[in-house]
Amino acid sequence: MGTVSDELPDETLLAGLGAGDADLALAFVRRFQRIVFGVAITVIGNPAAAEDVAQQTFEQAWRHAQVYDSRRGSVRTWLTTIAHNLAVDVLRARTSAPVDPDDLPALLTAVTDTPERVAVANDRASGLRRQLGRLPAPQARAVAMAGIYGMTARQIADTEGVPLGTAKTRIRDGMQKLRAAYLPENVDDE
Amino acid sequence: MSEVNEMGCAEFADAAAELALGVLTGRERARALAHLDQCEACRENVRQLTVTGEELVGLLPAIEPPAGFETRVMERLGLGTPAPIPAPIPAPGLARQLSPARRSGRKLADWIGGGWTGRGGVSHPRRILAAAAVAVAVIAGGLGGWGLHGTTSSPTASALSSATLLTASHQTAGKIYLYNAGSRWLYMSVNIPSGSGAADNGTVLCQVEGPDGHITTVGSFRLTGGYGYWGSPDPVTNGPLTGARLITTTGTVLATATFPA
Repeated sequence: MGTVSDELPDETLLAGLGAGDADLALAFVRRFQRIVFGVAITVIGNPAAAEDVAQQTFEQAWRHAQVYDSRRGSVRTWLTTIAHNLAVDVLRARTSAPVDPDDLPALLTAVTDTPERVAVANDRASGLRRQLGRLPAPQARAVAMAGIYGMTARQIADTEGVPLGTAKTRIRDGMQKLRAAYLPENVDDE
Repeated sequence: MSEVNEMGCAEFADAAAELALGVLTGRERARALAHLDQCEACRENVRQLTVTGEELVGLLPAIEPPAGFETRVMERLGLGTPAPIPAPIPAPGLARQLSPARRSGRKLADWIGGGWTGRGGVSHPRRILAAAAVAVAVIAGGLGGWGLHGTTSSPTASALSSATLLTASHQTAGKIYLYNAGSRWLYMSVNIPSGSGAADNGTVLCQVEGPDGHITTVGSFRLTGGYGYWGSPDPVTNGPLTGARLITTTGTVLATATFPA
């Protein structure tokens, strides 16, 4: 079913993309287009704008393939970070209300419960997913609004109708719990 | 030297998550960055929160893009049919300036510098790579390497053969791929078993063997913790390759591979 390119490591496909090899570039796009578009459409909501962000993401990867540094994370993480940054930029430029609070439960459900992703997730990602599902709802919402939609504590406070200090505490506490789940060997500080 | 508005570790800890997620703004952000500049412990704290935040984004569901997406991307890159166009290669010195993440100015990972660890990297240091350094080393070495040559590959009839790199004690040390798509490409991925010593951290050479037994050095790259990878258009264009080997700069053979006939 798969092609020979499917066997190549992510880094190899990225190198081929950067070098302008059409076959490897196409294989790279096919491998990552769903996750890149998923990030863009989830953050932005508008399919046309999301496609533009997804295309820009691959263009950025193509232009900057040579500066990808795997010490900083996997190709997938690098790519989703690019997509996320671009999407949040679009969101911030477009509106002062980046997210409808009514959309958050569906997002959190998608992030914590998707069976397909649970099945393929590595242990760390599974731990992160489980911990996100266990967070008190206000913390999970605050983490999603800040971490997914790029909302500031002030925006979160206004959206949730809580004091600024409360919003900041929710972000802090929620992220510390997620870090403890994702990087359990590092939970010694603070 | 201290200033009235200097931020201490306790106050920083309250803002660290927001900083890591790129949502801290204005004066508070400036003060936090000033504190980070002088506090190693807080840098590590933010690095971990940054990695966690990136993984949070990675949990978002994958969604099929609209039909024709990949074609439009390829056209945008100038890689669609009929004639592929070689990608512009940014000079290594522009790396910091051009980095997408850096340019966005939100994620702190670059700013913190040297501290990113990929998925699994924290507990598996052998997976830590130096991909950018590899590319630069290959280019600087003048031995070929991606980015130096345009490609005339056509999106037809892909073909890939691969061979496992084995050490003298028959331990798997990686894999080499020979990719035929109009032009030929070589890719080598190395993960030398720990304890083999010789080149856990250092420059190694990739050599290929032609059908006449002639051995050609086609590239060099650096291993970090025994791990590294490298790729290049294949400079040995006549006839099939029969094998490849990985050697140290002093000529010690670390591993060999034989391509299937």
